[in-house]
Amino acid sequence: MSESILELERVRLQYGPVVAVDDVTVAVGRGEFVTLLGPSGSGKTSTLRLVGGFEHPTGGVIRIAGRPVNGLPANRRDTATIFQSGALFPHKTVAENIAYGLRMRRVPAAEIARRVAEMLEIVALPGFEHRYPAEMSGGQRQRVALARSLVVRPSLLLFDEPLSALDLALKLQLRAEIKRLHAELGFSAVFVTHDQGEALSLSDRVAVMQKGRIEQIDRPDTLYNRPASEFVYTFMGESNRLDVTVGGGAIRDLQGHLLPLTLEDGLAEGAWRLYLRPSRLHLSEHEPVRSNALRCTVSMVEFLGDHFRYHLACHGLRLMCDVSAKLGLSEGSDVIASWDGADMRAYR
Amino acid sequence: MRRSGDITARLLWAAGLLVLGVVSVYVALPVAIAFVMSFSGGQILRFPIQSWSLRWYADFFGSPQYVDALVNTLVIALGATVLSVAAGTASAWAISRRKNLATGALTLLHMLPLFVPGVVLGLGIAITFGNVRLFGMDLYGTRFIVMLAHSLWGMPLVMMLMETTFRSLDRQVLEASRDLGAGPFTTFREIVLPEVRTAILSSALFSFVVSVNEFYMALFLTTRDTQTLPVLMWLSLRSAGSPRLAVAAVVLMTIVLVSLVLLASGLRRKERVRG
Amino acid sequence: MTDARRRRTGEALGFWLLLAPSLLLLVLVFARTVAGVVRMSFNGWTPPSFYVEDVVLDHYVRLATDPLIREAAFNTVVLAFQAALTSVVLAYVMTLIVWLRPKRFRLTVIGLMLCPLLASEISIIFGWWLVLPRNGLLSYMLVGSGLVSEKINLLYTEFAAFLGLVYAILPYSFFILLSVMDRQDRLLIEASADLGASPLSTFREVVLPLTWRGVVLAFSQALIWAFGIYATPSALGPDTLWTMGQRIQEEMIGRANWPLASAIAVAMIAAIALLLVVMRTVEPKERTA
Repeated sequence: MSESILELERVRLQYGPVVAVDDVTVAVGRGEFVTLLGPSGSGKTSTLRLVGGFEHPTGGVIRIAGRPVNGLPANRRDTATIFQSGALFPHKTVAENIAYGLRMRRVPAAEIARRVAEMLEIVALPGFEHRYPAEMSGGQRQRVALARSLVVRPSLLLFDEPLSALDLALKLQLRAEIKRLHAELGFSAVFVTHDQGEALSLSDRVAVMQKGRIEQIDRPDTLYNRPASEFVYTFMGESNRLDVTVGGGAIRDLQGHLLPLTLEDGLAEGAWRLYLRPSRLHLSEHEPVRSNALRCTVSMVEFLGDHFRYHLACHGLRLMCDVSAKLGLSEGSDVIASWDGADMRAYR
Repeated sequence: MRRSGDITARLLWAAGLLVLGVVSVYVALPVAIAFVMSFSGGQILRFPIQSWSLRWYADFFGSPQYVDALVNTLVIALGATVLSVAAGTASAWAISRRKNLATGALTLLHMLPLFVPGVVLGLGIAITFGNVRLFGMDLYGTRFIVMLAHSLWGMPLVMMLMETTFRSLDRQVLEASRDLGAGPFTTFREIVLPEVRTAILSSALFSFVVSVNEFYMALFLTTRDTQTLPVLMWLSLRSAGSPRLAVAAVVLMTIVLVSLVLLASGLRRKERVRG
Repeated sequence: MTDARRRRTGEALGFWLLLAPSLLLLVLVFARTVAGVVRMSFNGWTPPSFYVEDVVLDHYVRLATDPLIREAAFNTVVLAFQAALTSVVLAYVMTLIVWLRPKRFRLTVIGLMLCPLLASEISIIFGWWLVLPRNGLLSYMLVGSGLVSEKINLLYTEFAAFLGLVYAILPYSFFILLSVMDRQDRLLIEASADLGASPLSTFREVVLPLTWRGVVLAFSQALIWAFGIYATPSALGPDTLWTMGQRIQEEMIGRANWPLASAIAVAMIAAIALLLVVMRTVEPKERTA
């Protein structure tokens, strides 16, 4: 008896010279919610399609509930996919859509009716049985898609960017809905997205993918605070980048100006890229409030709804700094930007 | 400047409408006039029409030769439609599932017969199958050989229309069906067929109309016993121009119109069910 | 690995099984027919038999030298070009109107253009027989309205043949042009006018270049159809107006000279193939914003 509901072992998908999935090894536990996060072309969707049975690996083994499923078509796998477009059958009503998978499994009609009604309650769409997909909003359609997949009680739910076609408010609402359903029903899931916010909020673990490989797989907070690579760090959120050279114990920018920076660990000599999240900078007018500090001039202030973003020029460097309350600083004001050394990450 | 532009625009538009009007009359005239003439009571084709009657309709449906030709036309068209739709739809489905150089070449291959004039196909099939026997029967002169010949035009038309339709299907919807446990055949029956019903019916109508009206191939491939209505009309055109031919023309157009109306009402009923 | 191979074999098998019916039709009927015509064109001919198994070039020599056939070829090409050109011009005007004012004209004009497409060529020929002769509708109406004093006859004239041929190919030009026109953005006209262009300049600078591809496509398609149509010119034109298709019918049925009929057919296929190749090379690329 396997602990994992899904195991991928050195799974590979290659079209001629193009490697879409490059030796991916990962396991998903029962009841676990794992997200594959990455930019387009990183292989996350291909990996999901391999699990769903829409593509077949050119190497490696896929096991679902301990059983190898290589070569098994989608209709003979115990997985259910929620597609990006919802992929509802346009000529069938909501009830017929949800019942489809049960009919294919030859579930008796009475039980189908009962389970469809129950599922409509769960996704908060009671009374929508006889609607056609064209008569519903995008968010409602995605709920039906969710219900259609959940109703067959698959071993594993597969989400293929199901929120990416929705507008922001709906996206957040449905995201919370999925999280609630996961907590209530305890299904196992693999979720694919390019939105790191979705990944962090929904998942037990997140796998960041790039060029067909998994760069790092960890709990969301670990991933955010201790990224294993420059790619993971930059993909997890916006950042300031400082290109510097280290030589003779001093850190200089590319123009040769001395930067009074101290890092937790000393840096070896050579060129480095230092990164810093905009929210970790502190602005003050006279005295620095953290150990690393630069004198800057405000070049632009952006209002971004829930916060303000200050664009700063410091010697040859440009920094962004997010603060929640508006400061009494206008464009051209002098300011001191400071931050903790521990908030800075260096890559070379 | 602005005024003169206005005037040119109006003149151009008026000229365009004039062309449209003339072409409308030109297009409607022969059809309308055949319709009117079919109700003439006279023996000969001349204007003005002196008396009105249905005698030529009685004459048409009382003539075994014309009724046989009508039956031949319908049987051949139905057969050609079944062949075209079955073969064309199957090919379109296979080709639409893939996209590479080979499918491009296959599509082109399917289209080739459309570029060959009917007279050439008719002559060629007559020469090639003139003495071929199938199941102990001469193939030449049968309705079956005409069905095959007409399918050469019907099948590519169906193939073109259905391939576009199949390609426009949402791939994710088909995958969703597989994902929920339906095999390829169930998916085709449950999901694909209802979606492409309109296209299949339209392409069937298309190949049916092409076969009903086609006469170059039919002329070369039929005998007195199997000749179609257009062939019979062509052969009687020079010898006996009578209002009976007008009735024949009206009958042909009615067949086409009735099939159009059947198609439209079939589609409308479906819409109501869905709405 | 064997799983994957078995699956791929299964998919390939399904692919070819689905293609089988139409491939059978294309190979057993179409390809055999074309091959049969080509083979027949090299056979000898000694009446009263339809043909004699042989390999001779006699019939191709006749194609090049027989004045009757050369005249038929000349007539076919001239008629087809005239008719194709006229049909494209008329169809262009109509599609332009439909495109500019779709609400008012679209359905009516499309319904109207379906007439020639859905009616049998023979029915239409018969319709012209009622319109064009001395006792026909046209003559009756012209005399009745006092425009002319004597009955006039247009049947069995080259003009009647031309009129009938244009009629037969007009819907093809129309629907090809309409599909190309429909893909253009009507806002472009307003943009052009907004930038100061007169209606004529807008047409010359914007509309015509964008739809030129449709014109070429419609013209070549109309030309090919016009090549194959011979019942209309034969029934409406003068007895001296022979076309290639009619020569095929005459040689095949009238004189039972199968090899010569086949040689004419091969020449027609070759002409169409040549036309397609030429059109493919001059055809402008489709540009979209």
